[in-house]
Amino acid sequence: MLNILAHLLKKFTSSLSFKLSFYAGLIMFMALLAFSYHSILTHEQNLINRMIRGAVKDSGVIKAAIWNSMMTKDRELIRQILQAIVREENIEAINLYDGKGRLRYTSGSGSARLVAEDDVDPKIVGLLASHRVRHEISEDGRSLRVANPILNTESCSTASCHAHPASEKTLGLLEVKLSLASVKKEISNSRRNTIIFAIVLFLSISTMSGLAVVFLVNPGIRKLQQNAARMARGEYNPTRPTTGGDEMSQLERAFDRMSREVNERTKQLEASRKMYKALFDDVPCYLTVVSKDYRIVRANKAFRNTFGEQVGKHCYAGYKGLESKCVNCPVERTYADGVSHQSEEVWTVNGRKAYVIVKTSPILDEWLQVSEVLEMSVDVTRLKRLQFELEKKEQEYRYLFENAPCYLTVVDRDFNIVQTNTLFDRDFGEHTGKKCFQVYKKQDFKCSNCPVEKTFSDGRTHHSEETWRRNGEATNIVVYTAPVRDETGHITAVMEMSTNITEIKRLQSELAVLGETIAGMSHTIKNILCGLQGGVYVVDSGLKHGRQDRLGVGWDMVKNNVEKISDLVKGILYASKGREPEYEEVDPGELLHEICDLYESRARSDGVELTRAFDSKLGKCLLDPAGIHSAVSNLVSNALEACRKGDDGRACRIIVGGCIESGRLFLQVSDNGSGMPQEVKEKLFNRFYSTKGGKGTGLGLVITRKVVEEHGGEIHVESTTGHGTTFTIEIPLKSANTDDGLKAAV
Amino acid sequence: MAKKVLIIDDEPDMVTFLSTLLEDNGYEVVTAVDGEEGLDKVKSEKPDLISLDLLMPNKTGIKMYRELRKDPEVADIPVVMVTGFGKDDVPSMDFKKWVHERSIKAPEAYIEKPVDKEMLLNAVRQAIG
Repeated sequence: MLNILAHLLKKFTSSLSFKLSFYAGLIMFMALLAFSYHSILTHEQNLINRMIRGAVKDSGVIKAAIWNSMMTKDRELIRQILQAIVREENIEAINLYDGKGRLRYTSGSGSARLVAEDDVDPKIVGLLASHRVRHEISEDGRSLRVANPILNTESCSTASCHAHPASEKTLGLLEVKLSLASVKKEISNSRRNTIIFAIVLFLSISTMSGLAVVFLVNPGIRKLQQNAARMARGEYNPTRPTTGGDEMSQLERAFDRMSREVNERTKQLEASRKMYKALFDDVPCYLTVVSKDYRIVRANKAFRNTFGEQVGKHCYAGYKGLESKCVNCPVERTYADGVSHQSEEVWTVNGRKAYVIVKTSPILDEWLQVSEVLEMSVDVTRLKRLQFELEKKEQEYRYLFENAPCYLTVVDRDFNIVQTNTLFDRDFGEHTGKKCFQVYKKQDFKCSNCPVEKTFSDGRTHHSEETWRRNGEATNIVVYTAPVRDETGHITAVMEMSTNITEIKRLQSELAVLGETIAGMSHTIKNILCGLQGGVYVVDSGLKHGRQDRLGVGWDMVKNNVEKISDLVKGILYASKGREPEYEEVDPGELLHEICDLYESRARSDGVELTRAFDSKLGKCLLDPAGIHSAVSNLVSNALEACRKGDDGRACRIIVGGCIESGRLFLQVSDNGSGMPQEVKEKLFNRFYSTKGGKGTGLGLVITRKVVEEHGGEIHVESTTGHGTTFTIEIPLKSANTDDGLKAAV
Repeated sequence: MAKKVLIIDDEPDMVTFLSTLLEDNGYEVVTAVDGEEGLDKVKSEKPDLISLDLLMPNKTGIKMYRELRKDPEVADIPVVMVTGFGKDDVPSMDFKKWVHERSIKAPEAYIEKPVDKEMLLNAVRQAIG
C-alpha cells in the first residue's frame, strides 16, 4: 500500500504538470515574498520616521509648555506639566537635565518627580555639547528616545532671577522616551497578512498552471506519445492535417511531417534490405559472414546448396576439413587491420578438390570496429586447370624455343633484342636489349633488305640470306621472320629464326663445282674420244688403202690419246684422293733444272725465252720430289700456253725462280703472256676448268695446289690481262730431325 | 675435178681425221689451225666448202664466220660447223641465236663432235654434191 502510494507520488512529482505548477507557484511565491519584505521594511521605516517626527514635535511642545515655568523657576508646575504629558499614550518617560548634565526631573510610570542627583551621565554631556536634537531607538527596538537641547536665549541671559551667562549655549536637555509597541504591532500584522496572501497566491497559481498543463498540454503530449509508439510499430500513418495555430498543433504537424519522412525512409530501407538480401542469397559465389571466433553466422543460397547447413560451425571445419583455422587466414587479417584480403585455398566440393579464391571484407559496427567479416569465395578450379594447361603449354613452347637447333631471337619495332634462346646465348652471349644488327652483323645500321621490317609492315613471314662475320669467319645464315601478335592481333614483336647454312652453301658450291667438273671432264673425254676415233679411222684408212704413212699417223693419234686418258685418270685419282707426300732429301735447284730441261725444246719451238733465275744448289730440303716436279711443271706448261695465246709479236719470256729464305722455300714461275681476267682467276684451282680447249685436262692447277697444301704451303697468283701472270709457291721447310731421323737439309 | 674442202680446226687430231675421211671420199682437202689462217686460205684456195670449228684460239670460229659472210666474194661458200658443243650447250645456242639476230645466213649444217662420218659426208654431199 505504502509502495503504491510512494509510486504514485513519484509519478506525480515527476509529471510535467506538477513540475510546471510547482515551479511556477514557487517562483511566484518567492517574488511575492521579496516584494512583501521590501514593502514591510519601507512601511516600518515610514512608521518610525513618523514616530520620530512626532516625538521631536512633542519634545518641542513640552519645551514650550515648560518654558515659562523654567523662566519662573516654578519647579512644581514643571513637574505637573510633565506628569500630565507623560500620561499621554505612547510616552514612556520624560527626563529633564540641567546644563551640567544632571538629571533634574524624571517622569515614569505615570508620575513625575524632582531629582537632585549629582551624577552626571557622560552620554548626556555629549548630547549637550552637540547643541542639536537627537533621537535614538533602544537596542531592543521597543522604545524611541528623543533628546532635545534647551538653548540659551536672550531672555534667559537677561533674566533677573538666575541669569545664565550669554556664553552658555545649552542650558539643559529634554529627553522624551516613546514606546514603539504600537508600531511593532502594526508591522507584525502587516507581515502576517502579506505571508498569508503570498501562500494563497502560490497555491492558486500552482493549481491554475497545473490544471492548465493537465487540460491543455497533457492531451497533446499523450497523443504524441501514442503516435510515436504507433510510429515505432510502423502503424502510424497520418492522413488528415492537424488544424489550429498554437504550438501544440505546430508540434503535432511537425511530428506528422517527421513520421511521414520516417515512413518513407523506412520503406526505402526495407526495399534496399530486401535487395541486399536477395543479392547476398542469389549471388553466384559462396558468401558467408564469419564471426570473430571463425564461426559462420550467415551463408548464402549457393553456399547452402553446396555445403548444406553450416551456420554456427567453424568456417575451417566443414568444407575445408581442418582442425584449426587456416595458416594464412584472410578473415583473421581483416579482423586485425580492417581491410580486404585475399587468399587461394583448396576446398573439398562435392567430394572433389576445388581451387577457391577467397576474398574478405570487413563489416563495421557504428563505432567503425570490425564486427563481422564477409567472406566471398569463387570456385576457380576450371580456370586453374586451364591455367595449368596454359603453363604447361607455355613451358613446352618455351622448351621448343629454347632448344630449337637454330638461333631464335625476338626483336621489337626498334630492332632491340627482347628474347633469345639457348643456342643464341651460347654462341653470341647475353645480348638482350641490344640491336639485332649490332649483335648479328656488328654494324650500326639496319640491314638493307631487313625481313624484320617487312614482317612488321605486312605481318607475313619473310626470309633473307645474310652473311655474318664472327671471329673473322664468314657464316652464311638464312633468316626467317614471323610476327608475334598480342591478343588483339597487333604485331608487338618479330621472331627471327636464323639457321647456319654455311655447310649447305659449301655443299651447294661444291655441287656446282662438281657439275662444272663433270661437264669439263666429259669435254676432255669427248676430245680424247674424237682423237681416238680419228686415229682409228686413219689406221683403218691406211690399212684399207695400203698407205703406210697413214698407218703411222693414225697409230700415233691412238697412242697419244690413250696416253691422255691415262694422264687424265691418274690426274683424277691424284686430285680426288688424299696422298701422303713421299719426302726425300733433294735440292730444289736440281728439281727446277730438270723441269726447265723438260720444257726447253718446246719453249724454243714456240719462240719463248725460258730464264732460269735460281741457284743450281739451293741446299738440301725434305720434299716430295715427284709432287713438286708435277706442281712446277704444270705452272711452266700453263705459262707456255699463256705465251702462245698472247702471241702478239712481243718477245715472250718465262722466268723460273727459286730461293730459300728464313726456313721457307719460294718457287716462282712468271710469264708476260696473255694474263687472266678476274673471273678466270677465281676458277683457277677448280677441277676440270681449262682454257686450253681440247689440250687441257683442267686438273693441272688442282694438282699443283694439292701438292703445295700437302707440303703445308700456300700458292698465290698475280695476274693482269695482257701483261702476264706470276705464280708463287711458298713451302715451310721440314726439319730432318722430326722426320724419320733424316738429317737437316738446310 | 675434185671439190675442194677447207678444214679449219685447232685440234691436229681432228684435222688429220677429217682430211683422211674427206680425201677417202674423193675430196681435195686444205687445212688451217685457226680463224686467221682459215680466212687467208679461203681467199687463196677458193674452197667449195668450209668445215669450221667453233672454238679456236686467235680468231674463233664465230668471228671468222662473221667476216666470211660479210665478204661478198666468199659469202656464198657453204659452211659446215663442226663443234664440240651439243645442241643444248650454251655456246651453240648462242651461235644460232647470234646468227639469227643479225640476219646473217645460217651455216649449211651443224655437226657435233664426236663426228658421225656418214652425217658429215651427207652434209658435205648435200651442200656441194
